[in-house]
Amino acid sequence: MDSQQLQRLEIARLFHRTGFGPKPGEFAAALSAGVVATRNKVLTPPSKVSFVTPPVLTDLGPRPAANSPAVVDYSQQLRYQIQLLFLWWLDEMVASPHTLQEKMTWFWHGHWATSIAKVNYALPMLNQNVTMRKYSLGNFKEFAKAMFSDGALQVWLDGQDNTAKAPNENFSREMMELFTLGVDHYTEKDVKELARAFTGYQVARTTGAVFYNARRRDTSAVTVLGKTGVMSPEEVISHLVSQNDSQLFIAERIWYRFVSSRESLPDEHPMIRAFADRDVYALMKSLIESSTFSQEQYSMVKSPVEWFIGLCRALSITPSQLPSPTKLYSYLEMLSQVPFSPPNVGGWPADEAWLSSASAQFRLSFATHVIAQANLVELTAVSDVRRPAYLADLLGVVEWSPRTANAMRGVRDNPQKLLIIAACSPEYVVSQ
Amino acid sequence: MIELPRVPGQELGMSRVTRRQFLKYSGVAAAAAAPLLTVDQIAQAAITRPLPLGTPILVVVTLYGGNDGLNTVIPYQDSAYYNARPGLTYKPETLLPLSSDLALNASMTGIKSLWDANKVAIVRGVGYPKPDRSHFSSMAIWQTGSPAAHLNTGWLGRWLDTQAIDPMTAISLGGVLPPLLVGAKQSGSALPLGGLSIPQGVIGTACQRLSATSPSDNPLMAAAATSMRNLFNVSDNVQPVLAKPAPVADDLPTIDGGNAGGDTNLSQQLNVVAKLIAAGSPTRAWSVSLGGFDTHANEANAQSLLLGTVSKSITTFLSQMKASGRSKDITVLVYSEFGRRVMANGSDGTDHGTAGPVFLIGDRVNGGFYGDQPSLSKLVDGDLAVTTDFRDVYSSVLEKVLGAPGGKILNNWKGSVNAFKS
Repeated sequence: MDSQQLQRLEIARLFHRTGFGPKPGEFAAALSAGVVATRNKVLTPPSKVSFVTPPVLTDLGPRPAANSPAVVDYSQQLRYQIQLLFLWWLDEMVASPHTLQEKMTWFWHGHWATSIAKVNYALPMLNQNVTMRKYSLGNFKEFAKAMFSDGALQVWLDGQDNTAKAPNENFSREMMELFTLGVDHYTEKDVKELARAFTGYQVARTTGAVFYNARRRDTSAVTVLGKTGVMSPEEVISHLVSQNDSQLFIAERIWYRFVSSRESLPDEHPMIRAFADRDVYALMKSLIESSTFSQEQYSMVKSPVEWFIGLCRALSITPSQLPSPTKLYSYLEMLSQVPFSPPNVGGWPADEAWLSSASAQFRLSFATHVIAQANLVELTAVSDVRRPAYLADLLGVVEWSPRTANAMRGVRDNPQKLLIIAACSPEYVVSQ
Repeated sequence: MIELPRVPGQELGMSRVTRRQFLKYSGVAAAAAAPLLTVDQIAQAAITRPLPLGTPILVVVTLYGGNDGLNTVIPYQDSAYYNARPGLTYKPETLLPLSSDLALNASMTGIKSLWDANKVAIVRGVGYPKPDRSHFSSMAIWQTGSPAAHLNTGWLGRWLDTQAIDPMTAISLGGVLPPLLVGAKQSGSALPLGGLSIPQGVIGTACQRLSATSPSDNPLMAAAATSMRNLFNVSDNVQPVLAKPAPVADDLPTIDGGNAGGDTNLSQQLNVVAKLIAAGSPTRAWSVSLGGFDTHANEANAQSLLLGTVSKSITTFLSQMKASGRSKDITVLVYSEFGRRVMANGSDGTDHGTAGPVFLIGDRVNGGFYGDQPSLSKLVDGDLAVTTDFRDVYSSVLEKVLGAPGGKILNNWKGSVNAFKS
């Protein structure tokens, strides 16, 4: 790559990795402002945690008896709340001017992957999302402690079934394996002991409020990763996050989602040391300011949500204004990625998993659906020959390959079709 | 009236850990982009050389979440079993006895009749050394076939690497490809339940052009182009077949006396597989799955429903295959990433455990038990001991079903399970 291409690569990555892609005009403006100015903009601390007002979700209270007239209304309310929640977040991802905060929130949702399929209610999921926003660039130790008291996560991992009399290890295992330390950095004994330290909490399912029940609490001492004592969940989580393994593990998870799932995090990468105080902002700053994003080998496939949100941002489309929320939901479901519904506690897969022949088809019909709603006046005003270059800047693409240029040539007289091809091209599906 | 999104169902009151293909998160990285034949060559292949009758076909059924083997193949005469898990055992008289000491879960009537016809091999106590109780790690081990070294390829993906390049050779039902079918040179194809539709007209032509790889592509971009090309390849062959009705299972009663309710996802998947096999799809290996086995709470009823689904779906599928003349060619392999603890937890469920039974079902199978039943009195750290290495099973399946050197694909593994005829 020549220096101009390299600059496009690094700026494209700043848009697509630390955010959800450029809005119209942003890519060209960033090219003239330069890499450093673009980085600094990304790293400006956010002024608020949310830029689209979250829906007001009321506590629906206990579910009426099956087959009662009230249950019909109740279920409808519940579905409506879930829809509001789903659309709100998509709108927020598209609208947010602070793309790093939004991308981090999305990352943490895949990290503490909790699904509404089991939680069932929208309110606890909204509360969890708010917690994730709050800590998205904050201190990971405080974050992990706060997540213990998250009702949705407690329900998801059977925390309410974990009692002194009969420990349930689901939460304790995932706390170590998936959330703080990584597999193989603890023993089976640690899992059992940690489960005891986590006993005594119950959840109000409709709100996600977590409360303490002393009768269910195992008050004896536990030994977790070499530390023995009577410890509160917060104390023991603090101990987990203080491990060196935790520092590396979180850096690796960030690397896996923001840089590469194929190449591993280099041992000496400065982002590891930058996380010494468990400050997520410092970690991200170090990553963004390192030379990583200018290295060509670190390409990534955009996940379906990332791809869709990127398209909406480029085309100034508000997801909740698309003709049918049901259709929107089902396109994302066909592509196997619906916000608030990760497939399991490990979160979503990465890279090639999104590149099946089936997803190629779904992406194509989804793109057709979305682009039909876009205002293409500006693209139409550009001459046929110049349209591919215009689209490269609009979408934040480094450059079109001869293959894609060839495919575009056959449809460049038709702005809608041209955009569909651009959106489904390897150059846009993959963040180079 | 506002249109509402479909609410994801709360399935049987338990975790959806599992539902779809598990992840690359587990560390199973991906294959390089496959060099491919042209569209025409592959479309031709499906039409002009359908899989010859008599070619063995493997159908892998993955049970995601960790199926509780002790409540599947049940040591119903052993008091230790009842003592360990009082809240989640079944009454002995409801079970389906297989021998003087083991019985099938009451919901598995279909598999029981196949057992009676000598078509079911149950390999007992299957696992691998140093059991890993993480869903992700353990499923990665099962799907890569490699407990010690971390591999980027699946055990069937490595078999695919020994085959001619052809996206039809191995197909997984569902939108996301499981690591099981990821090879270094080529991977299996993913087929969603609704089938695929080929882009038509000007867009179709442009998509064909997009599906070419370009010298400037990095590996992921090449893989994206390949996925587009496979859409054309697979859909040309598959689409007409999916439009046809499924083969009739005429030796099964049309009304099921058991649990009501529509098709399960597994039966839908197997229905598509049945259609494609009947049409002569040149496919040697299929992958289907069912999730929901992570029964940390209120297990007895939930697992019974799930096993009923597995049993009924497989039985119907094999029965459908009779009309096609290919039922003799088919072997079904059923496995899960681990069994569960012997002791119940406090929620009438079980936590993650170790060894479990693997089922091999079909005409080519020599019915009966293989491997030792793990003893309930000789537990390892509260868990069942592994008595059979899972690579023994894979090695025999590779050899006897796919005609491949099993040991070689499994890093020179020597063991086998002699569960096949001939």
